[in-house]
Amino acid sequence: MPSLARGLSMPSTLVTLRARRRARGVRSSRLTIAVGVVLVVVVAPCLLAQLTSPFDPTALSSTRFAGPSAHHLFGTDELGRDLFSRVLYGGRLTVLIAAGATAIAMALGAVWGMVAAFGRGLVDEVLMRIADASMAIPQILFAIVFVAAFGANAVRLSVIVGVLLTPTTARLVRGAALVELQSDYFAAAVAYGAPRYRLLLREVFPNLRAPFAVQAAINAANAVILEAALSFVGLGIQPPRASLGSLVRQGYDQIYQSWTYVLFPTLVIFVTIWMLTLLADQLSGGREFRGATGG
Amino acid sequence: MLVAVSILIFVVLRLLPGDPIITRLGATPGVDPETIRQLRKTAGLDDPLAVQYFRWVGGVLHGDFGQSYFNQYSVGTLIAQSLPATLQLTAVSMVLSIILAVPLGIVAALRPRRLLDRLISTGAAAGLALPQFLVGIILILIFAVRLRWLPARGAVPFSTSPAEHFEHLLLPSLTLAIAATPLLLRFLRSSMVDVLGATYIRTAEGKGASRLRVVLGHALRNAMIPTLTMLGLIVGYTLGGVVIIEYIFGLPGLGSLAVRSVFNRDYAVLQSVTLLISAMFILTSLAVDLLYGVLDPRLRVARAHA
Repeated sequence: MPSLARGLSMPSTLVTLRARRRARGVRSSRLTIAVGVVLVVVVAPCLLAQLTSPFDPTALSSTRFAGPSAHHLFGTDELGRDLFSRVLYGGRLTVLIAAGATAIAMALGAVWGMVAAFGRGLVDEVLMRIADASMAIPQILFAIVFVAAFGANAVRLSVIVGVLLTPTTARLVRGAALVELQSDYFAAAVAYGAPRYRLLLREVFPNLRAPFAVQAAINAANAVILEAALSFVGLGIQPPRASLGSLVRQGYDQIYQSWTYVLFPTLVIFVTIWMLTLLADQLSGGREFRGATGG
Repeated sequence: MLVAVSILIFVVLRLLPGDPIITRLGATPGVDPETIRQLRKTAGLDDPLAVQYFRWVGGVLHGDFGQSYFNQYSVGTLIAQSLPATLQLTAVSMVLSIILAVPLGIVAALRPRRLLDRLISTGAAAGLALPQFLVGIILILIFAVRLRWLPARGAVPFSTSPAEHFEHLLLPSLTLAIAATPLLLRFLRSSMVDVLGATYIRTAEGKGASRLRVVLGHALRNAMIPTLTMLGLIVGYTLGGVVIIEYIFGLPGLGSLAVRSVFNRDYAVLQSVTLLISAMFILTSLAVDLLYGVLDPRLRVARAHA
């Protein structure tokens, strides 16, 4: 940061600039690590819910609506179940849905975007108009329409969310791929006689890793939001199964009995999304990007 | 564009499993199969898909949204009942977010990279990560449940009690405003920083114009132009958020209508609501493009000469 760069007081402006850039790189990589650590701390216990949860998430007890305590870290719910354990198990489902959705969006989006960039002309036009049309419908509304059409369980939910995140991903991949296709190395390789599909897989695709990573983080954040929003409205994961979204819903219904009930799952969702957004921000080198825009 | 959107919505909704007529009659045993067939026929559900599609779109163009599959109201009536609440909520939250974003953006841009700017920018970055419905829940938690200052749910018609009407509107619109403000703020700040560095600002200062006049008269006016594009996007973002926010706060708008129609398998309503909200979004973007020319005389001249 500036303070560090000023302390170095290099004679030439060029060196100062370089030092400043280096100092900035150090700071941002530290932040990236911190963000990564927080993400792991939130996500890993969820994935290992069987090991980490202190109670059976479905075990009833007589202590209903208990506040947070050393015994029940997040308190208990309307049936006396341990909320901490429920958040871990619910978190696991949400993480799995979001991961599935992100994988689907990245895979479909990559194919869609690359075909558009590679096909040019009419193919490109048609594929991108479809993407534009689907992006004009607010995501959450589109999600509701899809859930109405196909119903919701964990697998369908991640497919639906994945498909919804595909058009934006396709747009980004197309843009990045077009840049690559215009590059000198690509022209050289074509002139050299390498088959084009091979170039696409061997040369262009690996070069898209950076924008891909950014998009994956944004997609994951949006997937968490969409799952939570759908389950909250009652169109996603249904009781007795629980996800973070459905836990927020149940807590919201009991908001006058226990205000901590709704707070904890909400905070877990917020921290997860915040970290994913920060991660995307870091990976894109601090450039402006459109943040998560789900429900 | 709208045509593509309408086809998309229609096709997806026709894939719906479950028969709306059977849902409407309920699982009453002993319903005459003949009655079901008759009802399907009157609802036009037996016609080919293309016919159904053109009947729907043709009707919409004439302001006729068709008949709800679930109750006896026409879709138009249901939408007319819900639209005002949604429009009002969107409008109030846009105004609120402008009220929040513009002063903060200006203050942050006046002394870039100083403490105040850092605070505002960091806050905005964190705010970007907050999804709208979580903001809503947190606001309810604070202002309705803990402090008990404001009502959590429901709506009161303006005619019954104007004061209570706005009391019920405050939290939901504040929610949407808080979610929209960071986007607007960040954009306004960076374009203000750019503009304040321009030579015409130095000229204006050199002429002896007061600081206030330079910032508000010269800089803000020019910085608002690119920010306007952002505003179009934000209206779209807010329109999407309205769906869940209305549901959380129990407001009788289009969003609640959409959610209810899913539970009722009433896709006559769902498809028209979805189309309407998408149309509002597309038209907003169009309006923003047109406003661009009005606000920036350079674009107007360029077009006139082209």
